[in-house]
Amino acid sequence: MKKSNLDEMQEQKLLKIEHNGYWLAYAGLIAAILIQGVLGGSFREILGEILVLLVICLYMVWGCLKQGIWARRLNANGKTNFLGSLAAGLVMGVFYAVRCAGSIENSGYLIIIGLISAAFTFLLAFAALSACTWFYRKRREKLDNE
Amino acid sequence: MSRNLAIKSARAQKDMTQKDLAAAVGVSRQTINAIEQGEYNPTIKLCRAICRALGKTLDELFWEEDNNEKKQP
Repeated sequence: MKKSNLDEMQEQKLLKIEHNGYWLAYAGLIAAILIQGVLGGSFREILGEILVLLVICLYMVWGCLKQGIWARRLNANGKTNFLGSLAAGLVMGVFYAVRCAGSIENSGYLIIIGLISAAFTFLLAFAALSACTWFYRKRREKLDNE
Repeated sequence: MSRNLAIKSARAQKDMTQKDLAAAVGVSRQTINAIEQGEYNPTIKLCRAICRALGKTLDELFWEEDNNEKKQP
């Protein structure tokens, strides 16, 4: 590989810029998916964004777990997983209720749709986070003992 | 991080500009300036290269007294 033109400080600054760019793209993708979804975009129309987001998320999770890294400020425990899953459930519940509001007028049905979406998202997110926590602890233990 | 006056002083003793020192250790002038201003914390590899270029030890150029260290976050 060609030698880098950057020295160590410039390299750190570039990494910081790339880090900010990554989170900007990540937040932009989520915003694009949510806005298009709320405006009535079909699943096929937002499939590209969803796939890109999925690939990014899988890469991040795989990369972090491989290195035994969880998060800067959050601890890998049941309480954090519960709160994170609850937040995801609430967002998806509201998202689906708003998305269906154009085609369903009965507010009772909308609440049920929102609750079912929230419950399923919560369960899936909690299961995924719990599995990641388990893998993280195993990996961390292995790395610490190497 | 406090300013690194030791590097500035050692550089002056050798009659080297920031640009000369940067060329000697293979980094940009901005990096040397940032180290002297206390805005950048160099790796041990770069610290050693600067020490070699200026003919000083790590202690002479990078050791800080306890008072200074306590000021750091």
